[in-house]
Amino acid sequence: MKPDFDIIIVGSGPAGVSAAFPLVDAGLRVLMVDGGKQSGVLPPEADFISARTNDIEQWKWMVGEDFHALKKRDAVSPKLRVPSHAYAFEEFEARNHVVGKNFITVGSLATGGLSNAWGCGVARFSAKEMANFPFPASELDVSYAKVSQRMGISGRVDDDMSDYFGLDKYSQPPIPMDALHTHLSQRYLNHRNKLNSQGFRLGRSRVAVLSEDIAGRQACNLSGNCLWGCRRHSMYSSTDDLPGLRKHENFSELSGFVVDGLTRHDGNWNVEGQTTSGGERRSITASKIVLAAGTLATTRIVLKTLNHRRPVPLLSCPTAAFLLWLPRLLGAPRMPGFGLGQLSFSLGLQGNTAAFGSTFATTGIPLSEFVRHVPLRRRYGIDLLRGLLSSCVVGNVFLPGHLTAAEAELQSDASLSVTGKYCNAVVPLMDEAAKKLRKAYWSLGAVLLPGSFTVGHPGGDIHYAGTLPMRESPSLGETSQRGEVEGLDGVFVVDGACLPTLTEKSHTLTMMANADRIGRQLVALFGYKSLHS
Amino acid sequence: MKIAVTGVTGYIGICFAKWAISEGHEIVALSRRRPELVVCDWIPYELSSKQPLALPIDTDAVLHLAMSKSPIDQQDGAQEVLAAELLIEAAKKASAKFIFVSSQTARPDAPTAYGRIKWRIEQDVLSAGGWVVRPGQVYGGMFRGLFGELVKLVQRLPVLPAFMPAPKVQPIHVDDLAAGLLRIAECADIRPGVLCLASPEPVSFTAFLHTIARSRLRLRRCFLPVPALIISTGIRLLGEPFRTRMGLERLRSLFDLPVMNTASDLQRLGLQLRPLPSGMHPAGSARRRHLLVEGHALLSYVLRAQPGNAMLGRYVRAIEKLRGGGILVLPKSFVWWSALLALIDRGNCTETTWGKEFRWRLDAATVLAEASPLGARLFLGMGKHYGFMGSLFGMARAIAFEASWRVLSMLFIPITRIALPRTLPERQ
Repeated sequence: MKPDFDIIIVGSGPAGVSAAFPLVDAGLRVLMVDGGKQSGVLPPEADFISARTNDIEQWKWMVGEDFHALKKRDAVSPKLRVPSHAYAFEEFEARNHVVGKNFITVGSLATGGLSNAWGCGVARFSAKEMANFPFPASELDVSYAKVSQRMGISGRVDDDMSDYFGLDKYSQPPIPMDALHTHLSQRYLNHRNKLNSQGFRLGRSRVAVLSEDIAGRQACNLSGNCLWGCRRHSMYSSTDDLPGLRKHENFSELSGFVVDGLTRHDGNWNVEGQTTSGGERRSITASKIVLAAGTLATTRIVLKTLNHRRPVPLLSCPTAAFLLWLPRLLGAPRMPGFGLGQLSFSLGLQGNTAAFGSTFATTGIPLSEFVRHVPLRRRYGIDLLRGLLSSCVVGNVFLPGHLTAAEAELQSDASLSVTGKYCNAVVPLMDEAAKKLRKAYWSLGAVLLPGSFTVGHPGGDIHYAGTLPMRESPSLGETSQRGEVEGLDGVFVVDGACLPTLTEKSHTLTMMANADRIGRQLVALFGYKSLHS
Repeated sequence: MKIAVTGVTGYIGICFAKWAISEGHEIVALSRRRPELVVCDWIPYELSSKQPLALPIDTDAVLHLAMSKSPIDQQDGAQEVLAAELLIEAAKKASAKFIFVSSQTARPDAPTAYGRIKWRIEQDVLSAGGWVVRPGQVYGGMFRGLFGELVKLVQRLPVLPAFMPAPKVQPIHVDDLAAGLLRIAECADIRPGVLCLASPEPVSFTAFLHTIARSRLRLRRCFLPVPALIISTGIRLLGEPFRTRMGLERLRSLFDLPVMNTASDLQRLGLQLRPLPSGMHPAGSARRRHLLVEGHALLSYVLRAQPGNAMLGRYVRAIEKLRGGGILVLPKSFVWWSALLALIDRGNCTETTWGKEFRWRLDAATVLAEASPLGARLFLGMGKHYGFMGSLFGMARAIAFEASWRVLSMLFIPITRIALPRTLPERQ
């Protein structure tokens, strides 16, 4: 019997679309299914400062008509409180039956997945970082190039982080920095040698945000609405790639369909699931399945199909956040500006461990996010921060993913339970990072505010990977070098789940490049000639 | 359930029908005209009819609320009794429960014909195995029934009589009464008999009028002491026909109200009555008003300015949507001088349930306050350039104030410990 499609891709996030392009370009009949959640709240139209000053209805996008920001008061990140992003996260755990125990589990049922609300950090894994990958690093070169150019990356500049990011070949010029970051970067040039010897390197952040217009998307105009949603589509979201896929007649979409299992039938695969609107059960057949539902959801589908009851390891980066104060710039007026990473650092720690982080302007973030943590009475906390925050930047730190000891396990009720904690090494490493950053930024004229360096909860990074790692010779619960699940011929994992290593760097681009690579290999498997080979 | 109701267009009837429909029941109106305010089935019915009545066979309960509008004389009385008997008969045929709403004044030797007739009907209902409900002074909701007349009186007269000694009334909010009646209709385990539904604690009639003036009408009214004995003797001397015509019978019943023991009946129905000042509020509850007052205190503490109605409304809606709508019960002094909230903002109360809720609400008020142009001025410093020195001074000032309030709140610990609730009120 001829299946409905050649390939069904589960998920329309960055991995799903990256795998889709080579398949669709080669003429294969591809169906992409996703949870179909769509945005309901519009981000501000004016720049952040004007909108805050004039918009009397600003509570609708800041708090939400359903008081989303208050409902999510205890969520780990300000992003999870933004009403215009609510759709990106809602119902993921309930519908995908994912339960975090002392571990934060976030995923998306939205069209475009988590790329609707990501930090846009991109980086390339070095050959050394890819030592554990079951194929030569060079195999990703073409894919890195293709994916980077499609997304639109900015930050091309010859600085101390050029090699670390390794993306300047495909990048647009950087987005202008604000006064605070300009100050930091100038001071860095004066103290560069000393800081480099301490293992601290600083450079422009490389981000998937446009500084020049490309197809249907406009360059960043420094509106400062990055946290709230960009009406210009300057920040990459995989939904921006869907029009490109829809041009092809052999590409179909089924939105609002949550997959909960795969079954084998006559040498083909049935994707089983439920529609989100009516709860109607459906089954669609294809000869091959590509899983790109996000690490957690993909892991559950695979473990359930394999009926694999043993726990699988999960990689997740330990994180911390801190606040830097630049006393020289005290009283700087609030200006609209870029709200994502402006400068990024890499920091060498004990035992060859590397930390990575970026710093951000505070203007686009509500002050109430900070004032809750200030040990002052509310009124005076507000007064203090009003004076202080315009001369502050916030920073984050990521450590490599293997430093979280986490596991995902299929339960008897078919839910996926995720447990985990940081390894013992994390506390001393974070202490060391705090100390080194305090020292490094002190040389740059910035004070790491006492008490502000806060280590996040396990899973709070939302960088999950490595549950079904690609191996040279995979065992059950692992995947082959082309992402094919051992024991499930014809089922391919292309999202974070198949990455064998999670470094401290942002992993999204590598995940997308790998999805593109697997997509190309699938084309070959079908005997088609890739148009991009 | 299908419930047939007489008097569905009356004060209690409308409230009952709306409540029952919202709870998923079906109402059949037995009335002269099709009711306009509730959507329900309708069977034309006259209280003065002498013909037997046929109810739908699937009727589960009959609630008899109707009574003759004009003052009752002996003849009307007989007709009222007959009407009740015909209804009881119809209910029996449909095997439906029969619930009769009587009066606090019902007794064989009642001073008014009204009370005596209600008593006679009660006897018929009880012998047919039905339920009799004697409500206290019904109030709240629309200006109808005796409550409506009292409201109009308070509205019209700048000086009101304060009878000495004051007669006592036992109030019950019309919605609470409606809920009680529905429970009788619904529950299979409530034995037939007489149920007295009213506040177990009587309040003086003067206090009742005062609450109407203050909570419902927001008016100040003076009370002139009037000896009750003189009035009641005067009324008695007038003779019954004259009293009836003058509408003084009700006043006479007032002086002669027996105190009902209602606690056990309320408990049987699992009915908790709202407090009088709360129920007297136009919304039927003062909760929302208290929430507005609470929101005003928290928001003006955060903003150091009037929060504005829209923002207050958002606070109330947020608490209703996310926190069940209960109130914090902030001590009055904090409501009057919101700056005093700095005494309890940190430290003193964080361990208790109340303290945790207070923190949640203060955070909510902060988020709501920030999301406004006024908030942008205060939180981001928009519209004003502070500069290096200005910011430095502002920060130093904030820390100095913080230090002073820390000292003050330490000194006030013994007082705040006593003044602050530790838990949240269970029912509001």
